[in-house]
Amino acid sequence: MNAVVFEGEPVALADGESVLDALLRQGHSIPNGCRAGVCQSCLLGAEDDVHIGAAQTGLSDAQKQLNYFLSCQCVPAEVINVRRVDTAGSRVEGVVVEKRQLNEQVWLLRLRADFDYLPGQYVTLWRDDSLARSYSLASLPSADGVIECHIRHYPGGQFSSWVANEAQAGDRVGVQGPLGKCVYSGDSERPLLLAAIGTGLAPIWGILRTALAQQHRGAINVVVGAKAPSDFYLHNELQLIAAMQPNVAVHLVCQDELAGTESFAVQQADIYQYCKQQFADMKGYGVYLCGAQTFVSKLRKQCFLAGANMADINADIFIPFGGP
Amino acid sequence: MSVYEKIGGDAAVNAAVDIFYRKVLADDRISDFFDTVDMDAQHAKQKAFLTMAFGGPNSYTGKDMREAHKNMKLTDVHFGAVAENLVATLQELEVPQESIDEIVAICLSVKDDVLNV
Ligand SMILES: Cc1cc2nc3c(=O)[nH]c(=O)nc-3n(C[C@H](O)[C@H](O)[C@H](O)COP(=O)(O)OP(=O)(O)OC[C@H]3O[C@@H](n4cnc5c(N)ncnc54)[C@H](O)[C@@H]3O)c2cc1C
Ligand code: HEM
Repeated sequence: MNAVVFEGEPVALADGESVLDALLRQGHSIPNGCRAGVCQSCLLGAEDDVHIGAAQTGLSDAQKQLNYFLSCQCVPAEVINVRRVDTAGSRVEGVVVEKRQLNEQVWLLRLRADFDYLPGQYVTLWRDDSLARSYSLASLPSADGVIECHIRHYPGGQFSSWVANEAQAGDRVGVQGPLGKCVYSGDSERPLLLAAIGTGLAPIWGILRTALAQQHRGAINVVVGAKAPSDFYLHNELQLIAAMQPNVAVHLVCQDELAGTESFAVQQADIYQYCKQQFADMKGYGVYLCGAQTFVSKLRKQCFLAGANMADINADIFIPFGGP
Repeated sequence: MSVYEKIGGDAAVNAAVDIFYRKVLADDRISDFFDTVDMDAQHAKQKAFLTMAFGGPNSYTGKDMREAHKNMKLTDVHFGAVAENLVATLQELEVPQESIDEIVAICLSVKDDVLNV
């Protein structure tokens, strides 16, 4: 029978079961988040590097050398010995400097935290040793070391409710990362499609401003989708950029019928149909897709079939806690 | 020299994979098999398929091919569709006919395993 030996204690592994699932089932408290190999909150260490290769995708070389692995992605073929690791060492301390509402559901959280990153990457924020969630970076690296996240409040959601209801200036959170590869490529001539729904706008906002700061010359199309017009945020800022930059076009697309009283230019359309019509030939495009999994998957396929290279389609998928 | 080396090795696989995958996704006879949520993983498998079809380095056995396609209930129609899209891809890349013939022969050699007959 296959097993994982956790700090000396054998725990049976069911067929196809991950190390994380087996340990949780046994009642061990192992931090975890996306369960899809993305947030890196479930890091453990193994005695040797056999059986963990597939569970090391996205880890740093140093982490790999220490035989760290993502326990949610590890389905070992044979018995392995694992232990907790000091993940605190891979975090820096963040201090809340500001929080403010961007619209009815979305909060801006600003943290002072000292580390290097590229806009569009994400971090995993630790409220305490058991509660960790990933958030994308909407800010540009700046001298004051303040990062910004856009956090949508889900009533009943553990982390986002803490942000909305309790967090205040001076509170401390652990910041792990940066993670992810959804970043501006530096190829300044090609046309770009930057598409987001909901708080998928956070990484897009960072990528857009990086492209502008690096004097991107190709056309930049920003498409933001929402259910109702009141779900948009930063739309005035986006439209201001579009008005000032001749190569930037902003498309605000909403699913619900418009009341006609909207104070900004928004169109009612199915976002997939809309993109299909607006971007029929995507050969040579750089594509950035951010937000919920269904949105990213559907649009990724559509962009690919419209001619974009798979390697040029970057995605940041907001996998909810517990996995896709 | 293997056909894989003749047509350019890994670079040929990279050149072919997007074209082939796009054709497969647009082909109603087979697109459902390939239309998974995890497009990255699927893309990697397309590369494994092409490397194998081109006679490149791989460690798949006939048994692996049976296993990989076991629960798909594949028929001659599916197999033919994949082969057609592959040939069309190679023609688009202006691969010489004799290399295309070799590649088709490699595919035919695993047909029974793929169809699990
Ligand atoms: C790479 C990555 C980047 C991310 N970036 C961002 C970001 O920039 N901004 C952001 O707001 N979020 C982002 N997320 C999502 C974020 O990590 C959390 O999943 C989200 O904030 C919910 O956490 P919670 O603790 O509040 O809710 P949880 O306690 O995890 O969930 C409790 C309940 O809340 C509801 N809920 C939670 N998530 C969803 C959902 N996605 N859809 C519908 N209902 C839901 C459900 O009812 C759920 O049962 C990202 C996720 C990943 C993996
Ligand atoms: C020419 C014959 C074929 C060869 C050489 C071949 C080869 C392969 C290879 C190497 C893999 C990857 C296996 C793995 O690593 O998991 C694979 C997977 C797959 N093949 Fe084929 N294949 C062939 C025909 C077909 C046909 C006709 C279909 C269906 C129309 C098909 C559908 C698939 C699917 C859906 C997968 C992915 C399975 C998964 O997601 O796990 N293949 N094939």
